[in-house]
Amino acid sequence: MKRRTFVGRAVGGTAGGITSRLASRMASGLASLMTNGAMARAVASGGALSGLAGCTAPGNEALREGGGGREEEGRGGAGPVTLTVLTHYANEPLKSALQGAVDAWNAGAGMGVGVGPGAGGARADADADAETARRRIQVRTTAVAFPDLLTTYMVRQAAGQEPDILHPYCLWTGQLVRAGVLRPAPPEVARQIRRNYSAAAVAGASVDGTLYGYPTEVQTYCLYYNKRLLHAAGIAGPPRTCEELEDAAYRTARRDRHGNTLVQGFGLSRSDDSTVVGQTLALLAARGGRFLTPDGRRTALGSPAGRAVLDLEHRLIERGAADPGVSLFKAFPAGQVAMAINAGWWTASLRNVMGASYREVGVAPVPGRTADDRGTLATGFLMGVNARSKHPQEAWEFLRWLNAAKVPANGSKAGGAVGKPVHGAGRSWQGQSLVTRMSALQVSVGSMTGRADDMRTLLLELAGATSVDPNLRPFLDALHYAAAEPNGPRAQQTKTLLRKNIEEVWTGRTPVDAALRTLSRQVDQELSRPY
Amino acid sequence: MAPAVGDPALPSAPPPAQRPALRRTGRPTSVPRLSPGVPRASRAIRRRQTVIAYLFLAPTLLFFLVFLVLPLLFAALLALSRWTGFDLSDIRPVGMANFADLFAHGSTFLTPILTNTLLYAFGTVVLALCGALVIAHCVNRLRFRGFWRTLYFLPLVTTVVAVGNVWKYMYEPGGLINGVLNGLGLPSLAFLQDPDTALPSVIVVQAWASTGSAILILTAGLTAIPGVYYEAAELDGAGDRTIFWRITLPLLRPSLLFVCLTQFIAGLQSFALINVMTGDGGPGDATNVAALEMYQQAFRYGDWGIAGAAAFVLFLVIAVITALQLWLFRRKDEEA
Repeated sequence: MKRRTFVGRAVGGTAGGITSRLASRMASGLASLMTNGAMARAVASGGALSGLAGCTAPGNEALREGGGGREEEGRGGAGPVTLTVLTHYANEPLKSALQGAVDAWNAGAGMGVGVGPGAGGARADADADAETARRRIQVRTTAVAFPDLLTTYMVRQAAGQEPDILHPYCLWTGQLVRAGVLRPAPPEVARQIRRNYSAAAVAGASVDGTLYGYPTEVQTYCLYYNKRLLHAAGIAGPPRTCEELEDAAYRTARRDRHGNTLVQGFGLSRSDDSTVVGQTLALLAARGGRFLTPDGRRTALGSPAGRAVLDLEHRLIERGAADPGVSLFKAFPAGQVAMAINAGWWTASLRNVMGASYREVGVAPVPGRTADDRGTLATGFLMGVNARSKHPQEAWEFLRWLNAAKVPANGSKAGGAVGKPVHGAGRSWQGQSLVTRMSALQVSVGSMTGRADDMRTLLLELAGATSVDPNLRPFLDALHYAAAEPNGPRAQQTKTLLRKNIEEVWTGRTPVDAALRTLSRQVDQELSRPY
Repeated sequence: MAPAVGDPALPSAPPPAQRPALRRTGRPTSVPRLSPGVPRASRAIRRRQTVIAYLFLAPTLLFFLVFLVLPLLFAALLALSRWTGFDLSDIRPVGMANFADLFAHGSTFLTPILTNTLLYAFGTVVLALCGALVIAHCVNRLRFRGFWRTLYFLPLVTTVVAVGNVWKYMYEPGGLINGVLNGLGLPSLAFLQDPDTALPSVIVVQAWASTGSAILILTAGLTAIPGVYYEAAELDGAGDRTIFWRITLPLLRPSLLFVCLTQFIAGLQSFALINVMTGDGGPGDATNVAALEMYQQAFRYGDWGIAGAAAFVLFLVIAVITALQLWLFRRKDEEA
């Protein structure tokens, strides 16, 4: 045993960095598996590694809503603190937009309205104290491509190189919470989020009623249509019901004599999980259906609404109005798709790709059973604090500054992101509209947050001044009625199973009823497995 | 009765005193045991030489320990545990539950994933081996053999991503292959979108990409066949077909075995090409294979236990199929 301890110390003392942290985690991980005396003693001696590395896994008791048990660590020291943010904003313009905000924080930009410790007459002094305290907190961002984001979180967390602030896809919230990665939001932050964000945004950032971070971009799904193609088919406006959508799809679709698609009436694309599942769940929500039961324990797609949506998709493909083999992301900008359902982020992409032809693109709510039915899907991201962060208080402080502090909206497209602080409350100050930095940041890159008031300010009130895309309005309206994507611990698996069964229907390999039965069996079985 | 190899009765066998010491396995040890009469100094030298030998071996052994033995043990641990991939202290043992989940009713692992894997490997081997055999046979009769070998080897030095993407574009509804079909008056085919054609389409690409290495090995095998057999066959009046079936093919068996084994193992482990061409193994599960499923389970779903169990099942499948092939080829050898 002594020999093992010596080896452990030697490793811990010399290797340092990742090696020692990884070793400590392996040692503690193995210790939890060992029950017999000899092995347990061996691992206990290896536990010296853990002590030397100075890191242990946080206990679950530290993860209650309220900030967790490590707040005192962040509060204690007065030395400089560097927070790390790991995000998927690896490409322009998101990368520069976030970096601009982070640079402003690092340079000591003001706290903003209604979030600093100051209130009333003592605000100036308190703000000054907050500024002084905050200048010691620096933020460093690291970005990876979205497909690598979850893997990077996983690898860095296991290796003890975890970031203080995570920026995950809401679909993974349950997975990250169950793995003990995300820290619950402090009560005042949670209250603030529940008060200011749309229900779908709050639901996406919550698991079992507990909030785990600030919702950042929120994507709602709407119907994109090509005005020129609809007009050429003698259709005056976008369809408002599923029947109208189906009729318009058949009338606009065209194929050549070899059966090659020239124009798809309705673009069904199997580019990835999100495209296949997103458009189906948006159609489902518009008809009042849902994928899982409210408790998230069983599938609910076997409803008449679910059957109707899959039947519709199958008919569209079978009768040549849709061709999942054609890339929607190439065909729609090329004017070869009359209608398609996609998220709000696509507007910015289409504007860039299509240039002047973007005038032909219109956006409408997803058609339901009747013209008055409203329903769609909302997906998004959240910014939360790592359960292992040694500076949770500072991390929440930065997130409050970025997501809750209000700054003047007008001035420049990035003005909200880096703007100077203002004192006051409400939606305006000295005649200027106020928004959060995150809202301004998202709108500046053609996206949205789940803060409906900010979005109204940025997209409608200031639209004339900043030429914001009017196609974003239906997405803004959808914030009020959209349903969040299920985000339980097995959300990714169930989403993939849904995608596979939808594709089975699309390809005609499995009839709708059989696919729904298979899906129910597979999803229910997956959801019943312990995580 | 023929004397056994190593029998002292054989004239070539050395007397017992001169033979190296035998361990229980019957294999001669590399270092003969020293008799008690050997001086102590000599034993010390021998011991020091052994230590030095192990020191020289240490880097290699360490490499294998770190990159082979430890991951193998960790994979075995994961296969019997539940782990989300984030925290090493959160590995919970679950016994054989992961294996039970893999083969539970409704699980897609056995059908279609493992079935697809076997079909993919088998299809690749058959296509690549037959194609390579024909091409190698032709190349062996051509001038500038080196040039032809290099030409056919080129796909192997191209990255899988490039190969996959080029073929993906060729398979697309408006792609080259459908263009040719349309030119012949035939309707377009949805190669990668139709579940019935998706897997065969990818198999063709994998076979095309791996034919080069098979050709290289088979041409080397063909060159090694002594010319006297062919001369004798010609003198006996054997035709080309008879020569191929009775001389070329039997004498090429070691090369064929090697190609068969390596291609089959590569096919069973294949991941990248399918990932590039069909993404998640779609449409549905039509092109999903075991390696792709393992990756998804581990890195997307955070279910490392299931991924570990799937890896062991795949390992077992590979071991059984390899053993089966070896046995079949050896039996053929014995029959020959």
